[in-house]
Amino acid sequence: MLIPLLLAWTPTPVPQATPDLPDLYALKASVLETGTGEVIEHAVLLVEGGKIITIGEDLVVERGIPVYELEPNQVVMPGLVNAYTRVGVTGSGPNGVQPWMHASDELYPAAGEYAKAREAGVTTLGHYPSGNGIPGRSVVVKPKGASASAMTLKDDAYLKVIMSSSKSAKSSLSGGFKNADAWFEKEAKNKEKWDKAKEKFDKEDDEEKKKKLDPGPYKPLKDDPKATSFIQLRDGSLKALISVRTAGDYLHLIDAIGEEEFSWDLRVVMTRDMNIYHVLDKVAASGRRVVLEPEISLHPGTMRQRNLPAEFARAGTPLVLVPRNDSISGYEAWRRHVGEIVASGLERSVAMRAITLEPAALLGVDDRVGSLEAGKDANILILSGDPLEPGTQVDAVILEGELVSGEVNL
Amino acid sequence: MHIQTKKTGGSRVAALFLPLALGLAVPALAQEDDEPADEWFVLQGGDVYTGTGAVLRGATVLSKNGKIDEIGYDLYIPEDAEILDVAGYRVYPGLVAIESRGLFGGSSDLANSVDPFSKNMILALSAGVTTARSSSEVAKLRAGHIDGLVLTTGVLPGLAYSKSNPAGKRALRQKFEVATRYLDDYAQWEIDKKQDKDLKEPSDKGVDSSILRYMRGEARPVFSASERTDLLEIARLAQKYGFRPIINGCQEGWIVADELGRAGASAIITARDRSTKAEQLVRTGGSSIENAAILHRAGVSVTIIPSSAGISLGGIVGRDLMHLTIEAGFAVRGGLSEKAALDGITIEPARLLGVESRVGSIEIGKDADMIVTDGDILHYQTFVQWAVVSGEVVYDKEAELFFAHIRPRPEGSLSPEERVDSGEEPDEVIEEVPDDSGSSDEGDGDSHP
Repeated sequence: MLIPLLLAWTPTPVPQATPDLPDLYALKASVLETGTGEVIEHAVLLVEGGKIITIGEDLVVERGIPVYELEPNQVVMPGLVNAYTRVGVTGSGPNGVQPWMHASDELYPAAGEYAKAREAGVTTLGHYPSGNGIPGRSVVVKPKGASASAMTLKDDAYLKVIMSSSKSAKSSLSGGFKNADAWFEKEAKNKEKWDKAKEKFDKEDDEEKKKKLDPGPYKPLKDDPKATSFIQLRDGSLKALISVRTAGDYLHLIDAIGEEEFSWDLRVVMTRDMNIYHVLDKVAASGRRVVLEPEISLHPGTMRQRNLPAEFARAGTPLVLVPRNDSISGYEAWRRHVGEIVASGLERSVAMRAITLEPAALLGVDDRVGSLEAGKDANILILSGDPLEPGTQVDAVILEGELVSGEVNL
Repeated sequence: MHIQTKKTGGSRVAALFLPLALGLAVPALAQEDDEPADEWFVLQGGDVYTGTGAVLRGATVLSKNGKIDEIGYDLYIPEDAEILDVAGYRVYPGLVAIESRGLFGGSSDLANSVDPFSKNMILALSAGVTTARSSSEVAKLRAGHIDGLVLTTGVLPGLAYSKSNPAGKRALRQKFEVATRYLDDYAQWEIDKKQDKDLKEPSDKGVDSSILRYMRGEARPVFSASERTDLLEIARLAQKYGFRPIINGCQEGWIVADELGRAGASAIITARDRSTKAEQLVRTGGSSIENAAILHRAGVSVTIIPSSAGISLGGIVGRDLMHLTIEAGFAVRGGLSEKAALDGITIEPARLLGVESRVGSIEIGKDADMIVTDGDILHYQTFVQWAVVSGEVVYDKEAELFFAHIRPRPEGSLSPEERVDSGEEPDEVIEEVPDDSGSSDEGDGDSHP
């Protein structure tokens, strides 16, 4: 509260920039996109302690609470969520099956990219581990914080899996589950052995002999890193994000999974003439999310354009859109690229959801970020206009209630 | 649901109703048993060139779960059958390519690496090919599926017997000698053991197991040979040791056709192969357009393959796998009968690959792998309109972009209910969802700072 006061006293010319926002404040915007696809006009948003307290149309703000009234052209939306990025981390990863690796080990809070990510309006990043095969688990961070733990929203968000039409890729997945089976089998044998020893111990009456026979408390087998991830996949404590290139890869993936049941979403690597549309209905029927890039592709062997994100969305698949290029310039062009595929047929509300709430749900942090709803983190973008129009600038970025980029005028 | 009890008492009534109720009862029963319902597919009203010599005009081919169930007229057609009306078209067995490259996406271990949507697979289907050998595997072009495609593996084992490698020839002859001795000993042992039960079986140590298989008729070796002398030598070797060779190339086969015929040889030839004979030779030599015809007349079974077994749209177009039928047509130009030419791209290669019980002709019990054409399969103008593999349409000329625009089918002749998405009008490809969310209006209003 002190800083705005001081500013008022200083003789510097208007407008007064707000280098910091108070703990409790209200934002008034003529248009607000919630991230769920809903649009609120004349919206009022109350923030306290970095959280959204309440949100609604034409709410009355209690006297004494500072109100930041935005320009009529300005649009408010939730901070962007990129579920699949390595902007900010630089380590190189292994190839092959190393599901015990963590992208969180690579975090470097001082990386300059984070400041630029904030400026581009990206307030949540899902870092995936680099490498092919099954190279490890992803971590969800906010682009702000002095330490790795301060940045981290959630570790082990998903296990990254790269699937291709090859025996080795297929067996790295099915083999992982076999490792899990083998571990359980070994554990059962271990337990059985202990049980027998215990039984013998309990039956023995001679105190002297009994001492020698004491098996001690049961010690479960050590975790096998090759098996643990797959055990976690099975029990639901870990999910997978599986990347494919072609429709054929998808069929091989389904073949490799077989009867195994676990939570996974699909990422389709964009290529110029991709043929994933062959399995559009199958993917839609599975109900899984699909991560795509906002790009028009070509029907293979032709120059006929296809809007695959729109086709997936129409088939009923929850859509997650990530920037075409995993770089700061890609971040900056992200909204514009999404606008391009909206212009050629993708439903607008689906597109807005695909860069905010849906990726947050994919990362398992939709209880905190991804939409402007009461109780969630105050990750707010103030834009100079329609988020998907090419000329629209990011005027200000609020991350957990704090202004991290741009300015807001009182 | 009484039908379930037909095995026990009162079966006569149930059996009586069974044919009538089949269409309805089969899916109902299947649901109860939690088994997938039978899948029926019907090619109706086409002129069926069975590949066995018979042509059934305006006949119907009924397939059940991917196998040909019945062929003929006025067939009972189950209610839930998928029917493709092909009246006015010809139905041929799916073609078999004795050699292929790049059709399956993957190169080996096709079951795990096939790309069932690969462009080359579709193009090969457009040329009528439904089965092809890729390296040592034989697989069906089941577009859209990764299961049920590999028919067999380890086919066409090769042997070399050429004048350019005399030492190799000697070594091979010795192998045959050793194997002959072993087989003689074995035959003697089989007789002798009737008297003396304790007699030891002769050891097959040092005997080449694949040579034994050739001599026992369990497999046939492939020789690559084109030159007259080599062909004669191979024929003699085969006759001496009693096996049936397959000869790949066989350019000068027409000169020694009788010898090859007597040796029970089969030939894999390219009708348009061209080579001139060595100038210093007085004897006849070189290639001949009549090669296939002369060999066939001499009793040599002829399999035909173009000079390139890949799909080469940029390279030697016209001599690649997309022109398998054209190659067969050139054999006809050289005098081969049309029947033999069709055999040369269907049942003959199927036999050489050991898959003749599954593919290569339209017969009851075989796989429902058929192609529907708008004319004579050997005519250059003919298009494959549909390709059916395992009782399912995997290629439809109108639905794929490659040839849909050339002489499109008249409306009304299309009956497959399911149309592939890519068959839509071009301007429908980019979906246009009416933007009625109202949000864009606001967006417009706000986009002028």
